[in-house]
Amino acid sequence: MSTSTAPNLDNNVDNDENNFALPRLARIGHAGHVKRCLSGLPDSQVDLDSSRLAIVFYCIGSLDLLGLIPDKIAQGDLDMWREWIWGQYVSGPYGSGFRPSPFMAFSTGGPSTSDPNSTDAPHIIMTYTALIALAILRDDFSRLDRRGLVNLLRSCQRPDGSFKTVPGDVDTESDLRTLYCAFVISSLLDNWEGVDVAKALEYVKGCRTYEGGYGISTGFEAQGGPTYIALASIYLAPPSPPASSPKYRLTREEKDKTISWLVRMQDPSGGFCGRTNKTADACYCFWCGAALKILGADHLVDSRALVTFLADCQFKYGGIAKAPGEHPDPYHTYLSLAALSMYPPPFSNANENNNASWIFEPLDPLINAKEETAKWAREKVRGLR
Amino acid sequence: MSSPSVLYAEQPEWADVIPIPQYENVEPLAPILYTPEYKDATDYFRGIVKTGEKSQRVLSLTEHIIRLNPAHYSAWQYRYETLLAIKAPLDVELKLMDEIAIKHMKTYQVWHHRRLLMTHLLRNTDSTGIDKGSSSSSTQSPTQIASSELTLIARTLAEDSKNYHTWSYRQWLLAFFNDDSLWERELDFVDSMLNADVRNNSAWHHRFFVVFQSGVREGEQNRDRVLKRELIYVKQNISLAPNNASAWNYLRGVLDLNKLPYSNLVTFVQPYSVSHPDTPSDLVDLENPPPSRGAQLPCPAAIEFLADVYEKEGGDNVLKATELWKSLGSEHDTIRKRYWEFRVKEGLRAIQAQS
Ligand SMILES: [Zn+2]
Repeated sequence: MSTSTAPNLDNNVDNDENNFALPRLARIGHAGHVKRCLSGLPDSQVDLDSSRLAIVFYCIGSLDLLGLIPDKIAQGDLDMWREWIWGQYVSGPYGSGFRPSPFMAFSTGGPSTSDPNSTDAPHIIMTYTALIALAILRDDFSRLDRRGLVNLLRSCQRPDGSFKTVPGDVDTESDLRTLYCAFVISSLLDNWEGVDVAKALEYVKGCRTYEGGYGISTGFEAQGGPTYIALASIYLAPPSPPASSPKYRLTREEKDKTISWLVRMQDPSGGFCGRTNKTADACYCFWCGAALKILGADHLVDSRALVTFLADCQFKYGGIAKAPGEHPDPYHTYLSLAALSMYPPPFSNANENNNASWIFEPLDPLINAKEETAKWAREKVRGLR
Repeated sequence: MSSPSVLYAEQPEWADVIPIPQYENVEPLAPILYTPEYKDATDYFRGIVKTGEKSQRVLSLTEHIIRLNPAHYSAWQYRYETLLAIKAPLDVELKLMDEIAIKHMKTYQVWHHRRLLMTHLLRNTDSTGIDKGSSSSSTQSPTQIASSELTLIARTLAEDSKNYHTWSYRQWLLAFFNDDSLWERELDFVDSMLNADVRNNSAWHHRFFVVFQSGVREGEQNRDRVLKRELIYVKQNISLAPNNASAWNYLRGVLDLNKLPYSNLVTFVQPYSVSHPDTPSDLVDLENPPPSRGAQLPCPAAIEFLADVYEKEGGDNVLKATELWKSLGSEHDTIRKRYWEFRVKEGLRAIQAQS
């Protein structure tokens, strides 16, 4: 195996290795792509109807990473976005949180219901994305019912420790993604009363596989996304009992094996794959890259090859795609920019022409937001005590 | 099912339902430009949900929405509640869902719905197939039901052999029914998948799940024999295609789980770690199958494996390990140059700590 993208530099010219140039990162084009999505999606994307808030998060998140919020966006737009997100805030006997969109709303009389099985209920993943999006917009969270959030988490945790996406009697989807979101919400609230942490961490443990990564649910194949989510959850857990018990921490051997699996996900194209023997995909540059960052192993990544791959994933009319030659979407655009925030190209000549376009502000890998935004979220979501 | 070309608004049999348009309280963000067909169907769906109606026509309406948007989790959820409420025959439902499963196999909800149906069927059917909930029009035993599920899954995997949802559903189903006659055929199934593509990591993972992580079944109690069988299996596959990370991961997984030292396998691994291994004798050695002719050697995974053996042995051998890591970083696996350099550094540090 050798890198196919760059001529193999001789080992003794190490000093020049970081003197290289990339095409420009099309910042304006990528911002244009997500702004277009915010203003409307074509009917072919109707499957996003029940996860619109997540798309909104990827769009607003991209603008945040690109450094355009708040100064380069009209104040009227920022206010409107904030209002739309709060428009998805719903409460009921199960607690409160955010729904994906008004796709199941049938009242014009306010977003509250007393029906515990309402189809117009909050969704844990959407609630996580809403909190981060609102933090990006520097909302003061004065409208947030914190007790309601805690109750929502409590209503959604299953006996095996995992979390359902929505409350109610039907056993809706539940896996590590929802568990991670519940952990971020508890961490931001600085209140873990809604979560049985020991059970949840036990569930995470059960998702670990012989390869050293994690599957999305007990017994499933190791994959980059769940591996990030599992590690982030372990590291988000509060530093007090029961989560502080050594049985929930990774052993040295486990950590080494996970690092080894993660670095082997980077393929000769420079991008990361999601599973063993699959092809590289831009989103796994984030999932695997952030997982390595959490483990303090980011220095083991070939960041030059990574950036070269992401440069090739840029779509000529804006936006970033999962692979070269594919069509872009807000999900891959956001996650690619987030990966770049952790893995800046190792230029020795950062000021040269296009190179400055690749430099980003640092990212908080645990909650997946720009550090400044994460700081705001941590200060404001918990509220005054 | 009503013809999609005629809107519900124009059908007399839906005239009693008051459609509810999607209510956006403020300027919408990332609005989807719905087709008239989807907008009409979801307007009527909201109307139905508001009144709480659960009836046969709700099944056609939710089917219609699911076909337009298989990720509409509320339509799935309401459909499931309706099926139970009107005691609809679930075998009919499963048959209908077969086609949708294959068409929309990348959608989580498609498989989750089947899980709910299976859970309900098993809880309400005794072992003779007598249905206590009258929710099936024919009598099939749970094993028969699960067995036809496995057939459907195999059909789906024939279209997309690495589909994560489908493989996950297979693992869930086997564990849920936990019937020896179902488990029995799994290794043959894995074999057929690996024959089609030996690099299919999902199939390798499935094998690990079946052999090591789902309990010990009859015929498999002799764990030493099982272990030996698995080692021979994976070695033969490595021999046929040495540069296959899935097989190497499987080998390491088997050794780690059974706490076997890697050093047991040096004789097998060594020929894979060099460019020109000694020509093997004509004697067939099942324990140590040689690299197939024309294989691309050396194989980085073999070099890494040997280095791990040396590292574990400690002492002077750690130095040998660092030499191998250096060769990986500079020649055989350059994309991970930084990782191998890190291993070299750690190795040298360990040597220093010893002396
Ligand atoms: Zn992707």
